[in-house]
Amino acid sequence: MGMLQKAAKILFVSIHFILLSGCWDRVEVNDLTLILGLGIDQTKDGQIKLTAELVTPNAGGGGQTVGGGGGGGGQVQTIVSSGTGTTVADAISDLQERLPRRVFWGHTKVIVFGEKAAKAGIHQHLDFLSRNPKIRLRSNVLVSKGTAKSVLELLPPIEQSSAEVLRELSESELLLQVTVKDILQMLSGDAGAAALPMVKILPPEKGKKELETIAFIQRTAIFKKDKMIGDIDDKLTRGVLWLRNEIKEANVTITLKEEKGNITSTMIRAHTEFIPEYEKGKWKMIVKATSEDDIILNGTKLNLMNPKYTKMIEKELENEVNKRIRDALKKVQKEMKADIFGFADLFHRKHPREWNKVKNRWEEIFPTVEVIVETKAYVRRPGINTAPQGLPEDEVKE
Amino acid sequence: MIEKGKISAIQMGIMIYPTIIATGILLVPAITTRHAKQDMWLSPLWASFIGFLTVYIAVQLNYLYPKKTLIEYSEEILGKFLGKAVGLVFLFYFLQANGIIIREYGEFVVGNFLTNTPLVVVMGSMILVCSFAVRSGVEVIARLAEMIMPVVVILIFVNIILLIPDMEVANMFPIMEKGIMPSLKGAVIPVGWFTEFILIAFLLPYLADRNNGKKWGMISVTAVMLTLSFINIAVLFVLGGVTDRFVYPAISAVRYISIADFLEHIEAIVMALWVAAVFLKVTVFYYALVLGTAQWLNLSDYRPVVFPMGFLLLLFAVWSAPNLMELTHFLGTSSPFFRMSIQTALPLLLLLIAKWRKRTNNPNQVKCQG
Amino acid sequence: MFFFKENKKKKQIVKNRQDQNQNQYQQNFLSTDLNQNLQELQNIYQNCIDVVFREFKIGGKTKAALIYIDGLSNIEEIDASVLTPLMKESDAKENTDQLIHVNYILEQKLTVSKIKRVQTMTECIEHISGGNPVLFIDQQSEGFALGLSNWEKRSIEEPVGESVIRGPREGFTESLGTNLSLLRRKVRSPQLKMKSMKIGEYTQTEVVISYIEGIADQTLIQEVETRLNRIKIDGILETNYIEELIEDNPYSPFPQILDTERPDVVVANLLEGRVAILQDGTPFVLIVPISFYSLLQSPEDYYQRSLASTVVRWMRYIFLLISLLLPSLYVAILTFHQEMIPTTLLINIAVSREMIPFPALVEVLIMEIVFEALREAGLRLPKQAGAAVSIVGALVIGQAAIQAGLASSPLIMVVALTGIASFTIPRYTAGIALRILRFPMVLLAGTLGLLGIMLGLLMIVTHMATLRSFGVPYLSPMAPMQGREMKDVLIRAPWWKLNTRPRLTGTDNIQRQGPNQKPNPDHGDDKTSKGKGGS
Repeated sequence: MGMLQKAAKILFVSIHFILLSGCWDRVEVNDLTLILGLGIDQTKDGQIKLTAELVTPNAGGGGQTVGGGGGGGGQVQTIVSSGTGTTVADAISDLQERLPRRVFWGHTKVIVFGEKAAKAGIHQHLDFLSRNPKIRLRSNVLVSKGTAKSVLELLPPIEQSSAEVLRELSESELLLQVTVKDILQMLSGDAGAAALPMVKILPPEKGKKELETIAFIQRTAIFKKDKMIGDIDDKLTRGVLWLRNEIKEANVTITLKEEKGNITSTMIRAHTEFIPEYEKGKWKMIVKATSEDDIILNGTKLNLMNPKYTKMIEKELENEVNKRIRDALKKVQKEMKADIFGFADLFHRKHPREWNKVKNRWEEIFPTVEVIVETKAYVRRPGINTAPQGLPEDEVKE
Repeated sequence: MIEKGKISAIQMGIMIYPTIIATGILLVPAITTRHAKQDMWLSPLWASFIGFLTVYIAVQLNYLYPKKTLIEYSEEILGKFLGKAVGLVFLFYFLQANGIIIREYGEFVVGNFLTNTPLVVVMGSMILVCSFAVRSGVEVIARLAEMIMPVVVILIFVNIILLIPDMEVANMFPIMEKGIMPSLKGAVIPVGWFTEFILIAFLLPYLADRNNGKKWGMISVTAVMLTLSFINIAVLFVLGGVTDRFVYPAISAVRYISIADFLEHIEAIVMALWVAAVFLKVTVFYYALVLGTAQWLNLSDYRPVVFPMGFLLLLFAVWSAPNLMELTHFLGTSSPFFRMSIQTALPLLLLLIAKWRKRTNNPNQVKCQG
Repeated sequence: MFFFKENKKKKQIVKNRQDQNQNQYQQNFLSTDLNQNLQELQNIYQNCIDVVFREFKIGGKTKAALIYIDGLSNIEEIDASVLTPLMKESDAKENTDQLIHVNYILEQKLTVSKIKRVQTMTECIEHISGGNPVLFIDQQSEGFALGLSNWEKRSIEEPVGESVIRGPREGFTESLGTNLSLLRRKVRSPQLKMKSMKIGEYTQTEVVISYIEGIADQTLIQEVETRLNRIKIDGILETNYIEELIEDNPYSPFPQILDTERPDVVVANLLEGRVAILQDGTPFVLIVPISFYSLLQSPEDYYQRSLASTVVRWMRYIFLLISLLLPSLYVAILTFHQEMIPTTLLINIAVSREMIPFPALVEVLIMEIVFEALREAGLRLPKQAGAAVSIVGALVIGQAAIQAGLASSPLIMVVALTGIASFTIPRYTAGIALRILRFPMVLLAGTLGLLGIMLGLLMIVTHMATLRSFGVPYLSPMAPMQGREMKDVLIRAPWWKLNTRPRLTGTDNIQRQGPNQKPNPDHGDDKTSKGKGGS
């Protein structure tokens, strides 16, 4: 075969490649609009209302290219758009009809469920979200007090979009952080209960417009099966975090019995150990919570370099943590009866045979599980101060 | 001999390792988990016994007929008519098996990445690339394997390392909750993959150092077993109880990787590198098929068969299943037994007959000499 | 049928030509008659004004003639060592009646060191064309070729294409003699062999095969000779002519033969058992066989510290991938896998692409072609204009293209980085291969995204796996894997570790140096103590 013929063949094939590349999966960035945050609400008539926070690149620059040679200056504007339908997928088609650009799921950071939608059940929404190969399993899932739309509509003064605000807040891990994968695991696990962080809109400061504020994570929504049954506040949430061994950052403020003033400590490391026990039809869980703390504030007159005082503080810290955990247990275990701590999995792992017998009755058994909370706190450092600052020498107690 | 190239035993081991792994890491974790639950990482261990057995059979047959492939000696063992018939069964099987492999690949790519691209284009382009490699002969395939194998191994290990922050060791417990049975049941699926080791029957005749063939075959089985177990463990640690809810748990786990907000969504890269492994798998099957066909037809060269066979492969890939559900169902139910019967049981039968014939033949020969 | 006929015709033509050539150079011996010889030569050198026929009388009696080509021979030397002694009236002692005795002239008169007797006309022409004056003496059936060739040469300079920070700075020149001397100066062992042959019907270019006996494989040398002997061509002006005529796969974009201007590179390769092909008239020397990895090695790798070289080598491998893949990755990720880009970066890219009318694929193709054009222009233009081109290029590519809405700024980054990456490949020829392959890769990326890139890569690797350079697999020592040779591919092991030659070229003599040469303070002590003990 001549070289010319070969070359002609190759040319023929390459031309087809160019022509073919016009279709199929090739999408130019300019034809996309990124969904940063997704809100799912339920309307009064049972329809699904989907709200998407979309980012449009052209909004910032208007006519001229942004930045010239310097590259984009992040002139990002987000718009919020909604669509309704019987399912999430329907709602998206409805939404897409009103958008000139194709929606792109690959950058969805947060998924917010409206309170109503959460109470109605979320499993079909989650199914849609996990079935689509573009959506990240790592997207954060939240529940909003009020509608999800109202949360996404906000124009946050700090971050670029309210979705970004929610993502940052989730990832700070001060309170609960739940990703799509996590909620799927929780709901399909033995416990049959789940917890999602719940956001609330911060009232705007005076002089600011109504929308210029952010939503922040303040509560925790408790789910039984896939339906929300209630919520708990941030204090109790911390207790829940202890019981889920997810506590990362927390400040604990205590007062000593014989001293005036507060001492605040911050947690460096924390760990919770669970020892599930089963004896003659009785389920028992020993929770051992250990924390290592640094003192960050000393409002008392004590010189903290004295090991005696350290012991006292440790004791008090233990009591405080113990109380938090007990409070959480009381509310969630006894009142709500939702096993969001994953006790079921723990029992299953330790005592599989016994657990399998009660598997179907777990909902009844869970509130009766006896929980013994043992806490241990170690104060490692007093910060970089020794004696309390701002006090005359003679008032300091050695 | 049709194939003039020579490869070393190490090269054979390196060739066969990604060949088994390639599609094994895709569907196996999910199907195994369905039966074995949290013991699914044990299943490859049990399944590997069949792998060792298959390698043993192939090596023993090769020992009896050193310069011949599976197709050639089945004719010698069973006689002309029966041998040709058995050869046809093998060839037809490889055609169908390779069609399914290509379909798995196509389904995976289209289902996860190129949703709107026609399946035929995705599969056809792969077959085209493979056919070039097949035409170049066993030496080139071996060299390709040497280039690709490190990529596959590094890929697997890097991903496992990146997933470490998201792993939850507790997902593994309780080990053997219901005894050994679930994991044995789960092992039925990976067995199908381990029987593919019969492919070495097509490579053993071309080894430069035949004595090491067995050793490297066994090492390859061990490596495959360890890799599958490792992947299963990693997937289990990350996804836990929902592992079997995903079609491709491994890729879903990879999708979960996120390091410093930057290294996210790297599954497309993983897919691209995984394609290299599939390429090798399809090529090795394709090569066995083409070589076997040429030998079956007593051709002097296998190259003319390559492109027609490629076209047939494409047809088989398209026709092998109407949709992904059917494909997975086939792979999860009847396929292991089907694969085992042809890839392990049939060669075992051949070996037994061959041994028996050798034994009965030998006295005759002595008589003749006497 | 048609093809067959045509082939036959072609064969006929070739045959005729060969006959013709043979007629031209038939073995006609010189006659004893000087005039006849001169007549014949004058016929041959008709219309060649540069050929000088200088007739004179030896000692005032015997007719003689000196024929040389103006400018190729050393005129001063001819005057001083040939014409002056010969034309002087002979001494009184001499028997003037007798004809001049040839041996007498050779032994006592001609003060030229290199003299060769020539018997045939063909030889005469060879020597004259090569710059050696040929002396004819009446009544003698042979001529004397005098080694006085001398023509204008370029002096030895540092090769521009392969400059190093540390290492020898001499490069080959256009003169074969100089080049051979450069090699000999580095390898003094008589094992360094140089075999000469002539290629080119008209140019009669001298080609030298050089190797080290005892290291280079004998079959390899024979193979090189056979392939060179097969060449039938009008003329060769550069070693690329030879390269294209002897390489294994002529359609491959990858060079299968290494070319270099550096004597140290040639010697290093000779020491690894390879064969060098030198040609008169070009500073570029061919080295066979090579593997792909030797194209990625710079001579400086061996002159810098091993750790530094290892790092540089890895950087080069990475940049090799960048130069091949970056534009196609840009297209694939931007049009197929947008989820892979961090959100903020994606938004920035989208903003900068907002005013571009082209799809990313076309944008990349345009800018890559512009870049290649600029590079080519920069190479061809005279040095003074080159600066102007680079300014225009910087302006056109950098600023104007963005403002005109032809390209987005991230793409400029991509193109620039690709360009820089392609310059890090030490061998220009390998760089060209990657530059060519970049374009089909971009098209594949635009069709199937990352999958397309992978399929393209697999095609390339498959092609490379089939390639051989004089029997050595192109991807060795990676594939087929030679564990021991990874020391010079994955890393650049320190010299005391590089004990063995590459297995595929240096089979005959695998040990390169003595073992256990790792420097160690104890070694010195041992030796001195031993020495003391001995004394």
